Amino acid sequence: MPPIELLLQQAWNGLMLGAMYALIAVGFTLFFGVLDVIHFSHGDIFMLGAFAGLSVLAGLAAVGLAQPLVLLALAFVAAIVITGAVGVAAERACVKPLARSSPLMTLLATLSLGLVIREAVLIFYPRGADPKPFPRLLPSGGFEMGGVLIRYDNLIILAIGFAAMVAVDRIIKGTRMGAAIRAVAQDPEAAQMMGVNLGRTVDATFFLGSGLAAVAGILTGLYYSEVHFIMGITGGVIGFSAAAIGGLGNVYGAILGGLLFGVLQTTAAALIPRGSEFRDVVAFAVVMLFLVVRPSGILGEKSVERV
Amino acid sequence: MILVLASEAVLFVLAVAGILAERPLPLAATGGVLAALALLLRFSPKLRGALVGAFTAHRTGALAGAAVFAVLLPFALRASPYWTFVATLALLYVTIGQGLNFQIGTAGLINLAGAAFAGLGGYTVGLLTVTGGWPAWLALPLGPVVAVAVGASLFVPILKTRGHYLALVTIAFVFIFNILMNNFEFTGGPQGIKNIPTLQVFGYAFTTRLTLFGVALPAHANFYFAALVVAGLTTAVIRRLHDSWLGLALNTLRDDEIAAKCSGVSITRAKLTAFSVGNFFIGLGGAFYALMVGFISPPDFDFGYSLIMLSVIIIGGVDSIPGVVLGACLLLPLPERFRFLHEYRLLLYGVVILVMLLYRPQGLWPAAVRRYR
Repeated sequence: MPPIELLLQQAWNGLMLGAMYALIAVGFTLFFGVLDVIHFSHGDIFMLGAFAGLSVLAGLAAVGLAQPLVLLALAFVAAIVITGAVGVAAERACVKPLARSSPLMTLLATLSLGLVIREAVLIFYPRGADPKPFPRLLPSGGFEMGGVLIRYDNLIILAIGFAAMVAVDRIIKGTRMGAAIRAVAQDPEAAQMMGVNLGRTVDATFFLGSGLAAVAGILTGLYYSEVHFIMGITGGVIGFSAAAIGGLGNVYGAILGGLLFGVLQTTAAALIPRGSEFRDVVAFAVVMLFLVVRPSGILGEKSVERV
Repeated sequence: MILVLASEAVLFVLAVAGILAERPLPLAATGGVLAALALLLRFSPKLRGALVGAFTAHRTGALAGAAVFAVLLPFALRASPYWTFVATLALLYVTIGQGLNFQIGTAGLINLAGAAFAGLGGYTVGLLTVTGGWPAWLALPLGPVVAVAVGASLFVPILKTRGHYLALVTIAFVFIFNILMNNFEFTGGPQGIKNIPTLQVFGYAFTTRLTLFGVALPAHANFYFAALVVAGLTTAVIRRLHDSWLGLALNTLRDDEIAAKCSGVSITRAKLTAFSVGNFFIGLGGAFYALMVGFISPPDFDFGYSLIMLSVIIIGGVDSIPGVVLGACLLLPLPERFRFLHEYRLLLYGVVILVMLLYRPQGLWPAAVRRYR
């Protein structure tokens, strides 16, 4: 049994990873809410967000801007806008046209769209096959608390992640558009009869979800100090798993699922021998088990099938 | 009958010409003739009607003719061992595609773990022959058996979940499989398994160069003929299953699970049967691949290959048995033909599938409506 400090340290690391997973998972769950589809290219949109942030940072560095705070703020805003626009384009091109056909079609279309995005970054980004170093903009150093080392950069990443989640909560609960999103999720026809513009609401949802993925992408870049075109696959699968654990369609479930998945991964890495290699195996196995025992997720409603 | 054989011969000649043409001019000429024929068929209902009529009237003759031309292919390609290899690969994808199509198309079980089940077949053969010292012909049938057994152990989550969740379970399984193969000592880790002995039947090694009727064939010709037999048998078996009560039950299950249940279909049994039959053929394809290439490693069975297997089905036509054959024969050789596009291969795969799904979701050779006589 590893010492308790190690476990606490791993749980703290897991919380950090979990915050990023949660941001991806919220996108999955939002899209599922409004259109009843799984947007499988969302993982690659997340990767695109990281690359958008990286490009903006590189561009700003080229014009000579060096203030980390300004740099970060601009990178976040630009990446959210770019990635959000790509997300909306993806939805209009190949999610919405297929929303009425069988789920298999949407699944395949979004899977192939993800492949297209991934390959496009690989081919058209300069030297896209290599992992790209991500600039270190956050202060280094840290402090110790109860045997757990807490680094300042990690603290900032966590803070940004939670700020994004609170922002989503405010948007969904407190704005007209949020009300429209909730209404469409409940019943698209009834919402339309009450004067909700369905097309615009769906667009807004995809902008919101993809923007969150961009935030997650930049945070991932800051955390690992590098980004790679392949990260969208694992990011997407983990994000979807997190959304499924939490209960598809429920935003808070997705956040909970993301945090749970992160902590699960890191504690598995600490508890089992050669854990760092097998941590994903444990995490995915738990997801499978979870889907068997409680298919509707932690916070999901029990679905009743009507004949 | 003459019309059927003549059109098959024309198609065969054009395909061989398209494969072997090296310089741009002959290649363009072949492409032009193919395009002209396609346009002619598209805009001349009379010709199309005559062809369709001839092919429906002489079904057996058409199949026999196609078989003869398939056997003749290595003779036409004898100058190019590489293309014989590609043709063999296409035949393996016919086998794998039929298995996968039985799960996805016929039964509606979205299996995105095709690569992992093929990998189970391949790794079983590799481990049994290299580590266990088994003869290859004995290991070959065990590959699919292991794929079926592992698939059955996955069955509880598969029965409990459907649609999106089922896709998630199978994706997770591909990832688990890949991580395990990469990190276990006994599977060789990232280096994989090297020097898998080749297939030997009654002392005849499959790597010997075959000479038939005075023509020396490329080394892969043995595997080509074996793969042809396997693909043909697979297609025949799947055809029979698809036309049987089981296929009908699975179609019902796919379209409406509750209605199927009310009509007396045992959901558990039907799903398990469909899943196992599919995994058997996918595993067989993987096992055969391991013996043919003699080397396997985790990247040979990663998620990308699941997507390629899936594209074979989409291009051909979901739930369409001839469609799978067509899809595999188009999707495997075409990217090789356009080698200068190699870098863009996966990108093009993705774009083609997207376009197909948006504009022709039923595939190039749509599944026929069931007929009852």
